This record gives sequence, C-alpha cells and structure tokens, in this order.
Amino acid sequence: MIKIENVSKDLGEFLLRDVSLDINDGEYFMILGPTGVGKTILLETIAGIYRPDSGRIFLDGKDITNIPPKERNIGMVYQDYTLFPFLTVEENIGFGLKLRKIGKREIKHEVDELANLLDISHLLHRYPGTLSGGEQQRSAIARALILEPNVLLLDEPLSALDVQTAERLRQELKKVHSVIKTTMIHVTHSFEEAFLLGSRMAVMNKGEIVQEGRPNEVFRKPNSEFVAGFLGVDNLFQGESAIKNGIAYVDVGGVNIASTTLKSGDVYASIRPEDILVSTKQIVSSARNSLQGRIEGIVDKGTVVRILVSVGDTPFVVIVTKQSFDDMELRKNMSVYITFKASIVHIF
Amino acid sequence: MLKKLKVSKIKIITILFSLLLATFILVLIICVVTHTTPHALITSLASEEMQFAIKLSLITSIVSTGLCIVISIPAAYALARYNFFGKSLVNTILDAPLALPPLVAGVGLLILFGTTPFGKALAEAGLVFVFTPLGIIIAQFFVNVPFMFRILRGTFEGINPRYEHVAETLGCTETQAFWHVTLPMSKNGLLAGSVITWSKGIGEFGAALMVAGATRMKTETLPISLYLNMSCGDLELAIASATILIAISLVSLFIFERYGGFARIF
Repeated sequence: MIKIENVSKDLGEFLLRDVSLDINDGEYFMILGPTGVGKTILLETIAGIYRPDSGRIFLDGKDITNIPPKERNIGMVYQDYTLFPFLTVEENIGFGLKLRKIGKREIKHEVDELANLLDISHLLHRYPGTLSGGEQQRSAIARALILEPNVLLLDEPLSALDVQTAERLRQELKKVHSVIKTTMIHVTHSFEEAFLLGSRMAVMNKGEIVQEGRPNEVFRKPNSEFVAGFLGVDNLFQGESAIKNGIAYVDVGGVNIASTTLKSGDVYASIRPEDILVSTKQIVSSARNSLQGRIEGIVDKGTVVRILVSVGDTPFVVIVTKQSFDDMELRKNMSVYITFKASIVHIF
Repeated sequence: MLKKLKVSKIKIITILFSLLLATFILVLIICVVTHTTPHALITSLASEEMQFAIKLSLITSIVSTGLCIVISIPAAYALARYNFFGKSLVNTILDAPLALPPLVAGVGLLILFGTTPFGKALAEAGLVFVFTPLGIIIAQFFVNVPFMFRILRGTFEGINPRYEHVAETLGCTETQAFWHVTLPMSKNGLLAGSVITWSKGIGEFGAALMVAGATRMKTETLPISLYLNMSCGDLELAIASATILIAISLVSLFIFERYGGFARIF
C-alpha cells in the first residue's frame, strides 16, 4: 500500500500542492487531468526522482520520502517509451537485473517470460529505433516489470499511440494487471482510459487533487465545475449492450440506444449533444434512434441553447442554435422527439 | 518551349560563385600536394626531423584532446542539466577562447605560466610549460576546449533527462545512470567532438608558438616544422608537413560531417 501525505513540490513550471492519496495493494489507480497540471511530477516524486518540498510518502508503512529511487523498487514507464536506444530490446528488458548482478541465464529466462506475457518475443534481438510505438511501449513495460516492482507508474502510456494500438495495449495492460497483480498508478488525460482501467481515480488540477473516487461516482457527481467540464461528456450512459442484425442495442434504464460500434456486454455509450436533433413531431429518417421525451430544462448560452430532455428517467443533453430554439418556440415541459444516428453513438 | 529555355539569371550567377569558390580551394590543396614528387615526399617523411614532428604532434594532440574530454564532460553536463547562479556568465566565458586570436591566448598562457607565482610554483613542482612540449599541450587545450565543450553541451541537452530517471528506477545511482545511459547515448557527440578537437589540436600554431616557441627537435610539431622549414627554404620538408596536415584535416572533416552533423559549433 502506498500512502502520500500532504506532498508539495514546486518546480517553477509545474507544481504539486498538498497532495494526499491512499492507494491499496494491487489496485489499478488512475490519475486524470489535463496537460500541465503536475501529473508527471506526482509520479516522478513517488518514484523518487524529486524529493518533495514538504509532506511524506509511505510504501507498505515504511517512510520512503528520502530514499533514492533505486531503493524503492518502483517501476516507471513514460509516454515516450525512453527505451535505451543503444541496447537491444532484450538488453533493455534485462537492464535492471544486470545491474543487480544476476546471472546471464537467469536474466534470459526472466526476459523470455515477460516477453511472452507482452507478446514481444519475436522482437528481442531488435533495437528500439526499429520498433513501432506499441512495440516500444510493451518493451518499456516489460523492462519495468522484470524487477517485480512494488508499484508500477505509467505516465500516459497510451497517449503517443494511434487509436487501434492504444486500444489493444489498454486491454493488454488490463491483462498484465490481472496476471501480476502489481499496484499500478496510471496517469492519463483520457477519461475513457480512466473508466476502462481504473478501480479508483483521482482528478488533478493545478497541482492539486480535486476529486477522488470510483470512476462512476466521479462522473455521476463531479464536485466542481472543473471536474464536470474536464470530463466534458454530457451524454454518458452505462448499460447492457446486445448485438442484433449488425447493430448494437444498449439498454440504458429502459431506453434502447442503437449504435454501430459493435461491442456487447456491460458498456458505456456517449453521444455528443451537438449531434442530436430536436423536433416537435416525430420525423421519419434514416437515423436509427428516435425517442420521445420532455424538456426538463433550458440554459441559454448566447449563440447556442442547452436543452435537457428526459426520455423516461434518462436525461439527454441537446445543443441547438439560438435561432432554431426561437423558431421552434421550445418551452419547458414541452413534449419533443430527439433523433440521432447509430453511427454517432460511441460505445466503449 | 521558349519559356523552358529561359533560365534564371540569379541561378546561373550564384552557381558560378559556388563553383569558383570550390575551384579556388581545390586548386590550393592540389598545389600543395603536387609540389613535390612522391619519392621526395617519402624521403622527407622518413627523415629524423619529420619523424620527430609527427610523433610530437600525435602525442601532444592526443593528450590535449584527452584533457579536453575529461574536463568538458562534467562541465558540459552541468551546464546542460542544472540551473545555478551565474550560469549564463559561465557559458559566455567558456566560449570566449573561440573568439580570442590564438596568438593572444598564447601570450596570456605565457604570462600565466611564466611570470605569476602560480606558474612558478608549477615549474618548481616539475611542471614547466614555457618552451616545452607541455606548453604545446596546454596551448592546444586552451584554444580547442570550447569546441569539445560546445559539442558535448549540445549533445547532453539533446538527451531527455527521463532516460536517466528511468535508469534510476531500474536500480542506478545518479552516477551510474550517467555512465550506463547518458554517456553511451552521447557516443556520436563524443566522437565528433574528439575528432574536431584532435584535428584542430594537431594544426594549432599561434598559441603553441607563443608558449612553447619553435625549437627544432624540441617543440617542433608539424605546423611548427612547416613554419621553420618554410622560413629557411627547405621546401620539401615543409611540403611533407603540409601534406600530412591536409590529409588529417580532410579525414577529420569527413568523420565530423558523418557523426557530428547535429552539433552546433559556432
């Protein structure tokens, strides 16, 4: 278990202010926040690269605030991989064991085992410069894991990868975590990653932890405008998805939402409020989703108007231009239809 | 069709200038190396005086390059990684020898090692710099250390400190991280810096002349030999020195371009 107590650090450009966190053994903990709020320094301070100006850090009850990184056994993986370019993948992964003067055969054995887990066995003789981003990141993860760290710190490990590779590696991370059960602290700016991987998460802003909790709770009850704005998805629904005739139907509290993203089981669905049409009569169109609801709230934002439409118990946020709003003479408690295409429903 | 035939005037003129300049340099080099016959060149190279000059040049330039490496590595690392009071002033001062005429540098070294209590104390301890090969080494060091320093500073600045951070989490101390990670990653910069420093060192004349003088068979490096033999009319020996210096310069330039293209010298 790792305990961070009132840690502050000022590096001029970035800073940490009075950060306290308790992270349990084997937990997959997410730290979410926009760029430049001090997420990386928090990880680097946990790793021991920086000493905090004030505050303490405990690992399994032992105060590690002032001990150097090499004695903490905390692994670190950066967004930009930082594989040593002059060593092969095999030598990179074995680097930590070689420093500990472990025998060659044992190193080879351990490297092979991890390479197998991360599916990079065929790359061991190659140099990092010849690998794709995803392959480099797997190698970097293997290099950190070989020392069986107490905690593995991941600094935006998926941010430099293309969407498909990132998604594959995300599943891989989940798998690795379930196999080795190391405590992981994963920093990201993607709430999607936080939802899919984290058992708990903390949201950071300006060097401070502004909210902490299970991803679902944080999303449902953001405690500040910053958190709500940063999470930024108005229409996010949790539901059970089933695929029928090449379309996924997500049951969200009795409302069925059709999507072209074919994923079944327990999922999240998100819809951008700009992508939803409002009409006073039901319209016949190619859009797969057409739902009847009632206007619950109206917020005038100047050029656009945010309308809250509830369909049964499920609230949808819709954004329309001020002009359409006036032309349609929309009022509170009016019955309206909302229409959107299956292809704009994002499921994850 | 006519339009295609019409060529840009400025293109022709500028290319002409570049060709003229290249011809000038090439002619000059050819003049030196063809001034003597291969037979005479070999005889000169085999002479005792040339053997001495070659040996002294090699020894002094290798030692001074070694000194430049040993002192520039920590200095360049400090200025690339850390912030400290007076950093920009230190940076400027370290670059100063680049702008200083070598003769002036030589005078300064002569005064420092020849007249001050510091120089006298060194001389008493057995380290005599004035009119000795040691003077050649210190002159080469002083004039060329900015090259090494600047190339290494650029190299270290180009290495993300995160590599060292990762190495530390993998079990390195800060010093080990430097040895096991930063230094191997600086390989190209080190090679380029060493080659340029060494080839400048072997050609160093002005500062070495002031400190070590031009004594035949004592402080006679290749450039000094060229100067001595030229002034007493022994053209064959002078050309032999010049030919060796040209060969060294060309090879060094090639290596530098190949491995050090990233480094800013000026």
